[in-house]
Amino acid sequence: MGLIDKARIYSPWLYHLHCGGCNGCDIETLAALAPRFDAERFGIQLVASPRHADILIATGCVPKQFIPMVKRLYSQVPDPKVVVAIGGCACGGSLFYEEEPDNYAILGSPDLLIPVDIYVPGCAPKPEQIINGIVQGIIKLAEKAAKKSCR
Amino acid sequence: MSSSHIKILKRILEKYSTPMTLKYPSSVDASKKYSQIPEGLRGIPERDKEKCIGCRACFFVCSGRATKIIDIADKRTVQIFLFRCTFCAHCQESCPEEAITMSKKFELTVSTRSDPAAYVDTVLDMLSCKKCGKPYFPKKFVPRVYERLMEKINPRVKETVSADFKKVEGLCTECRRANSFELDTHTRKHLWLEGA
Repeated sequence: MGLIDKARIYSPWLYHLHCGGCNGCDIETLAALAPRFDAERFGIQLVASPRHADILIATGCVPKQFIPMVKRLYSQVPDPKVVVAIGGCACGGSLFYEEEPDNYAILGSPDLLIPVDIYVPGCAPKPEQIINGIVQGIIKLAEKAAKKSCR
Repeated sequence: MSSSHIKILKRILEKYSTPMTLKYPSSVDASKKYSQIPEGLRGIPERDKEKCIGCRACFFVCSGRATKIIDIADKRTVQIFLFRCTFCAHCQESCPEEAITMSKKFELTVSTRSDPAAYVDTVLDMLSCKKCGKPYFPKKFVPRVYERLMEKINPRVKETVSADFKKVEGLCTECRRANSFELDTHTRKHLWLEGA
């Protein structure tokens, strides 16, 4: 493992992508990062630009107007990258999405557009659960980084 | 400064001397995984396989359309897909057999949609019809319905209905309707019997 990979795993940067939905999962995500639950002790930092991020946190189900933005945001994150879907909407569509009949406004969960590595279901998930999801994401990031350096 | 002021100051200092972060996994007590679990937390639903009769009540009330009934051959699978579940406990409220309970487990992280951890499945055996051979109701469903019907039924029509129930036993709903004239099991029979 190179120095850059080691640095990446010990301090992964997070980008919070709010696709749509009710804001419940976003509040829980911010609570997980705040001092009470303190996910930042794993070296995580919330960044304002996807170009700086290693882990993309997706919450909510995607409205059809938001499809190009989700695709663009995902392509802007540099490799290796990990996507963590948080909440019932981001995992399976939950209340807002139906298979039949097709909804005119809502596409469904973001994994229809971008590859999701870790799913954290719950409505809304507890901060502990989100921390668990992020840590699993870091493990996945290490695997991906190792694969990339082998090539 | 009075003694009460000093007491208050002491309490404040006590509060700030310990760290406020709730460790996860809990570092205070090694036997416990979580630092705190709130009272009345609705976690992952669990279904008792012995109690479930496959009556579809949970499927009917499910607000997130997470519950599905899958009938394949002579097996009925009652399934909750936890990715879509909102943990609203409507299924627990509506279950007539009290088979569903909301557990305190909430930690669930999976990497694929098809992971068995994301599903709560109960597989039930189905009865097959004597005439056409098609599976129609789960095995435990029919006797339980008869029991509950006899508890709540109007005593005037109790005998007629229980006799009819014995006649159509083992037939699927289609065959009951098709053969209702031969079996003499009209649903409103008792009304014109009394009127005559």
